[in-house]
Amino acid sequence: MASVSFKNIEKSFGATKIIHGISFDISDGEFVVLVGPSGCGKSTLLRMLAGLEPISGGVITIDDKVINDLDSKDRDIAMVFQSYALYPHMTVRDNMAFSLKLRKADAELTNTRVANAARILNLDPLLDRFPRELSGGQRQRVAMGRAIVRDPKVFLFDEPLSNLDAKLRVAMRAEIKALHQRLKTTTVYVTHDQIEAMTMADRIVVMHDGIVEQIGTPLELFDHPGNLFVAQFIGSPSMNVLKGTLRQADGREWVEALGQQWPSLTHAQARDGQSVHYGVRPTDITVSASGNGIPAKVIVVEPTGAETELLLEVGGAQLVVVMHGRTAVQPDDVVHLEITAEKSHVFDGTTEKRLD
Amino acid sequence: MSAVAIQAGDTPAARKSGGMTSWEKWGLILVIPYLLIFVVFVIYPVGYGLWLARHPESYTKLFADPIFFRTLVNTLIFVVVAVNVKMVVALFLSGFFLHTRWWIKALSLVFILPWAVPSIPTILSMRFMLNPEWGVINSAIFKLTGMDGPNWLNDPTLALSFSMLAHIWKSLPFWTLILLAGRMAIPGEQYEAASVDGASNWQKFCFITWPSMRSLFLTSTILSMIWTLGDFNSVYLLTGGGPADLTHVLATLGIRYLRLDQVDLSLASIVVALPLILPLVYFMMKRLSK
Repeated sequence: MASVSFKNIEKSFGATKIIHGISFDISDGEFVVLVGPSGCGKSTLLRMLAGLEPISGGVITIDDKVINDLDSKDRDIAMVFQSYALYPHMTVRDNMAFSLKLRKADAELTNTRVANAARILNLDPLLDRFPRELSGGQRQRVAMGRAIVRDPKVFLFDEPLSNLDAKLRVAMRAEIKALHQRLKTTTVYVTHDQIEAMTMADRIVVMHDGIVEQIGTPLELFDHPGNLFVAQFIGSPSMNVLKGTLRQADGREWVEALGQQWPSLTHAQARDGQSVHYGVRPTDITVSASGNGIPAKVIVVEPTGAETELLLEVGGAQLVVVMHGRTAVQPDDVVHLEITAEKSHVFDGTTEKRLD
Repeated sequence: MSAVAIQAGDTPAARKSGGMTSWEKWGLILVIPYLLIFVVFVIYPVGYGLWLARHPESYTKLFADPIFFRTLVNTLIFVVVAVNVKMVVALFLSGFFLHTRWWIKALSLVFILPWAVPSIPTILSMRFMLNPEWGVINSAIFKLTGMDGPNWLNDPTLALSFSMLAHIWKSLPFWTLILLAGRMAIPGEQYEAASVDGASNWQKFCFITWPSMRSLFLTSTILSMIWTLGDFNSVYLLTGGGPADLTHVLATLGIRYLRLDQVDLSLASIVVALPLILPLVYFMMKRLSK
């Protein structure tokens, strides 16, 4: 177990700079997820931590020891790759024992470690099989087993579930989380899937274009996104965002957008007439057939059983609403939207930063 | 629902009564040109060659010729030494050319040249270079030491060694490329996983590269042996089989007998190479059809 620290990390490929001075700390035993769209630099950052990519600038430490110039093998880390990267000519047992074999570990210790990892991951019946004889989920577990056997200071996961089908992904997500709760090893996990990030992380680092947009617990990011990018990236379906103008009168504040008044809390930094982005999550809008809310036309109704997703039109723009349960609403119906000011999010129109 | 149209001619009953279906007729028509070419250019020449080499006395004469056994030994040395040296060097060079540094990329273009240029002028150039009087090598030796260099191609061992060197020089780029393609097919993440696991470069070669390349390497080696058994240029253009017919291989021996107007011996010398070539071809085809 160990703490990890990134200080002003930069990465350039030739003249192209792709990571622009990233700094954050990971505590001992923490599960941190790096999340962001493709090309944001999250995998590169992980690979720099793993020693698979040279660091162009800044310092990475593990347990306060600078590891910039250490070989991968000397960093005491274990990594699980997207393609699993199992050695195809070795059995599951040999794959898992490989790192200990290279370190000339005692045979008894190796056997004990492999047996323990196999028991934790239910790999016992598969130990003498070759990777080609395993399903995707089984291969994924072997890759994790290979990492566990090392008993490293830090686990690194690089989009490990991307090659699995949706159902297996959910199952493996739970397995990885349970594994972390059991082993309590510091873990850095990279994914582009914000659901994975939300469900697994102790803390999420949201990256975009080589910078950190926000760091926080999953619910902090969901409830208080620091900027428009995080607001739209975290949450599924993503937040509805309308471009509008902020209005203040009589100690009240609201946003004018699409010819309607959208309720908002008062913001100390705000001024009347300010251009803003108004955000509200699909689950924070209440729909009623009649009432005083904002009128909206129903375009599509998508029942999923437990929830119903509505695609609505207001003033030429489209909004998504997620209702719990089922509804009798039909396409072309006119419904009314009610939003409580506490659930709204307002971002500056230019800087796209959250107004507090 | 999709409908499947079944032609009347395709039913077993129609086949029985009317002979071939229209599909089968078309199939036969399309195969006929290939069959004709195969018969005229493969079956006939091979059959005619075997027919010319049918007399047992041809083989008695061939086996009685001391040059034949020397040739057989030369051929075995050539195939075993040249092919193995070439393939092992190609295996390691393919690892070198895998690097993406600009100068290695540039060097790879130069490295391909020996394979790309025509055999006859290049091997004749080598022969000129090795000329004891005015060849560039001995001229350089004379300038540097004031002494005459050796008569390179007048020593059977040296001459055969230079033939093997010419062969390796000419075909090394091709096999390096083939093995490079094999190396490129190994996923990079396996090497990265091995780096994290603590493997040295040599351990990566032993545990990842070699197990992945073993099959390709063996198939390439067999194919190279088959081709090398038929390599006429490297020996004939450099040494002409000399000195004193002591550097002939089976691929050049036929020409020696032809020049002596012994057509039956020439063909017999080709037929005796078949027990060497056919098992290799069989073994390779069996591997490829797996």
